[in-house]
Amino acid sequence: MIDNEYIQKKVEQDFADYYPAGDEMQSQISGRRTRGKLFFWVFLVAAMVAIIALLTLLVTIVNQSFGLVAEQVIIPEETLVTDYNKTRVTSAANIIESSEDDESLAAGIGGDPSGIGFFGYAFYAENQDILKALSIDGVTPSEENALNGQYPGTRPLFVYSAAEIIDEKPQVAAFLAYYLENLEVVSEVGYFAADEEALNQQQAAILEALGVEELPHINPADFDGEILVAGSSTVYPVTVAMAEKFKEDGFRGEIIVDSTGTGGGFNAFCTGAEGIDIVDASREVDTIEFEACRATGLTINEYLIGQDAVVAAVSAANEFADDVSRAQLELLFTESINWSDIDDTWPVQSINRFIPTADSGTMDFFVRSVFDEQTLADLPYYALVNIYSANVTVGRCRAVEREKRFYLDQLVCDNPEAFTAACAGDNPPSGCTEETWTHAELERMITAEVVQPQILKSWYLYPSIFERQEIALEAATNYPNAELKFKSWISRDFITSPQSSQPEIAGVRTAVLGSLWVVFISVLVAFPLGVAAALYLEEYADPRKRFNQIIQANINNLAGVPSIIYGMLGLAVFVRFLEPITSGAAFGYVEAGATANGRTILSAGLTLGLLGLPIIIIASQEAIKAVPPSLREASLGLGATKWQTIWNHVLPNAIPGILTGTILTMSRVIGETAPLVVVGASTFITTDPTSPFSKFTTLPAQIYQWTTRPQDTFRNIAGAAIIALLVMLLALNAVAIYLRNRFSKRFA
Amino acid sequence: MNDTNLSSNGHLAIEANDLSCYYGDFRAVKNVDLDIKQHAITALIGPSGCGKSTVLRAFNRMNDLIPVAYAEGEVLFHGANIYAEDVDPVEIRRRIGMVFQKPNPFPKSIYDNVAWGAKIHGFKGSKQDLDHLVEESLRDAAIWNEVKDKLDQSGLSLSGGQQQRLCIARTIAVKPEIILMDEPASALDPISTLRIEELIQELKENYTIVIVTHNMQQAARASDYTAFFNMDSDRAGYLVEYNDTQTIFTSPAEELTEQYITGRFG
Repeated sequence: MIDNEYIQKKVEQDFADYYPAGDEMQSQISGRRTRGKLFFWVFLVAAMVAIIALLTLLVTIVNQSFGLVAEQVIIPEETLVTDYNKTRVTSAANIIESSEDDESLAAGIGGDPSGIGFFGYAFYAENQDILKALSIDGVTPSEENALNGQYPGTRPLFVYSAAEIIDEKPQVAAFLAYYLENLEVVSEVGYFAADEEALNQQQAAILEALGVEELPHINPADFDGEILVAGSSTVYPVTVAMAEKFKEDGFRGEIIVDSTGTGGGFNAFCTGAEGIDIVDASREVDTIEFEACRATGLTINEYLIGQDAVVAAVSAANEFADDVSRAQLELLFTESINWSDIDDTWPVQSINRFIPTADSGTMDFFVRSVFDEQTLADLPYYALVNIYSANVTVGRCRAVEREKRFYLDQLVCDNPEAFTAACAGDNPPSGCTEETWTHAELERMITAEVVQPQILKSWYLYPSIFERQEIALEAATNYPNAELKFKSWISRDFITSPQSSQPEIAGVRTAVLGSLWVVFISVLVAFPLGVAAALYLEEYADPRKRFNQIIQANINNLAGVPSIIYGMLGLAVFVRFLEPITSGAAFGYVEAGATANGRTILSAGLTLGLLGLPIIIIASQEAIKAVPPSLREASLGLGATKWQTIWNHVLPNAIPGILTGTILTMSRVIGETAPLVVVGASTFITTDPTSPFSKFTTLPAQIYQWTTRPQDTFRNIAGAAIIALLVMLLALNAVAIYLRNRFSKRFA
Repeated sequence: MNDTNLSSNGHLAIEANDLSCYYGDFRAVKNVDLDIKQHAITALIGPSGCGKSTVLRAFNRMNDLIPVAYAEGEVLFHGANIYAEDVDPVEIRRRIGMVFQKPNPFPKSIYDNVAWGAKIHGFKGSKQDLDHLVEESLRDAAIWNEVKDKLDQSGLSLSGGQQQRLCIARTIAVKPEIILMDEPASALDPISTLRIEELIQELKENYTIVIVTHNMQQAARASDYTAFFNMDSDRAGYLVEYNDTQTIFTSPAEELTEQYITGRFG
């Protein structure tokens, strides 16, 4: 009731007095502003917290996905390729002579106009009157080209020691000084001398460090004690020759030279465990090794001693061949028979090959450096088969061959009778069908079972950057044979490789494909159903009817049901009850060798489709509600039917909103794990899903499984898989948003 | 009602007999008897809430869109009750077009705005015929010269007045017999309003027009007949007086009408 008396009283007053004026007004306004500012700060803090939380998440993932690893392989891929190429060279046709004696080879080539061979530069230089060196891609094997690095197959040779060791052991200092004084040994052994200028600079630096005018002449007889050398097999002969010379000149002690490879030499040297004094190296020390040494208190000193180069030579009487490409060089020593096979203008004469034996370092070096930048992927199929069958047990090889054959017309590891018998049996192995391993599959098998990269330890990104020295020391101490290197866990291989029990070679291809299949099917189910349901509820259903109210309430509640419940539903309905349909059996679909039962992509897709359905319905309803009624009136007023109005006006205008809901659904479906675990995502699966009736796993399920493994390395690949998941999510959303924007533009 | 003044001008387009409109339990309009003359402009005026828009929408069953709405009595169109059970409202709306208070072109091109109605109603002509229909409709709606160079642009890119004329073009493209206009100029500026009024005068030749307006001058200027509605004490609208516009504005029979047109209430 209105109190008339009260109003009467108020009207008589001047209400203007009730408002603050002057200073009071100003302070009132600034008070209001202050309250507003307070909220500004609250919002700012909220935004910052959100951003920091997201950044922390990202940093954590990135931290796990990159970092140093100590990787050890059983047989390096490079060795496999080199061995294969060596076999090509040693088994080539027309090998006239195969000898360790380079002099004899040089003489043989010199006497044969269609002869060809290769050896250290020294031997060519000695026999220049009867030989002609081939230039490779226009680069002649001269000292100059060897020094400037243009001639393929040259590399600098070093010895390394540490200032601390030189100070402590006079015999080491003496040997090094003697080494540098007698560098002609390098050429005698067959390698190139190093760049003179570089040597002079080195000399000057040493003199400056010692604070003397001239290096004192060394008399080896003045020294005694033990000198341990380890490292490169390339430098090995030089050091051995040098050691012999040193002893001949009177050294009373012992020099032990070990050929361990450059990396192995540095590992042993930097830990200081084995008392190595000098490292032979066919490459420069890398920063990780350098730091590992510094961490144990060793300051590395580098001494350049020479250059390594191999010359491909023909007889001086050969008038046609002067310059070859690398590819031609490769053929010259491998598959080609006649000179004319390589160049039409060359004579039809057989290529007479004079080559070192397979054990020779020159052979190794030639193959490695001149035509050996290949990987397993470049090798022919038969070579991979040979590598694989030679490096795994016969039993394993047979098992693999029974799964799928290497060749259709022959067996490699199994004996034909046993195999035929197995095929005739009640339960024939899958290898009986006419399908062979692919090149890529073989590559993977070789990587997994022959190369066998093992990551002995991995470090996260943060320590990899800021605690590099400690890591280098730890790696050198604990994993002397492993290579410490920086690894990006997310890589092309990681995306394209299937799941594996070895984290080193495991990938997410199976999971990515599984996720895409599942998302595709769930959207295919949820989108039309959801839009249709939303249209019914908005356009046709009478909201006053109890039945429709119940449906609406149910849909609203379903959107909030925990996803695991959908998993239970999917398990009961799709996997168990509808198994004949979801397994594909009802359609006569039988997947070879697989027993997916109802735990298929279809079941998972349908389950997640149901999960996304309420979200799509609610979003679509909102979008349909937002279509202005005036548009419906315009259409109906023109005489359009209800359906024409919906199809031509309501839906096109609602579609951006509907698609927004679909994008949300898609994002949710991609990230779901729990229901899929219940529905039966495979814990370990390496075959790509090929149909809706395939077994499957998805990215989140894969990540979940990896994080539960005890090994550290699985945590790294889990991090990488999370990045893959995020990228996939972003990509799918970008596509969806692009489509939505195109729709919106068309109808705007 | 006194029919004598109305009988002079030919046939009836619409005949409402004892029409009452309900929104659920609420009776919005009661017992309206109204005869709309062919090829004439009939204006429905009255204060807010008097049910004039409801009556207009009852003429092509647009009230059906509201779930709780229903009508009693009859509305005869060519002698048949449009509320009879066997009548399809889609056919009624095809023959009795409507222009709304707020311009509501489709978010499509200008061309499609006009052509869409023809398409859904099974226009049998060729593409060229359709082009001609669009042009003719736009010409009849006096907007052709303004839009002929941008037929593929969105109808929403036009100004308010142009949009409303586009809506009229869209309505006449399906060749209705009657056009119902619900305050077609109320959202427009005075110049646009005048253009719409002129347009209505031109359309009179071919169509029967019923127009609801709040604007007394507009009714006086632009209409041939005027029906004045008022609201009862139970908030139900009823027809107070219906006569030719001249009579209503110069010598209304009812005192209420005079009070309203002279601005003493409303």
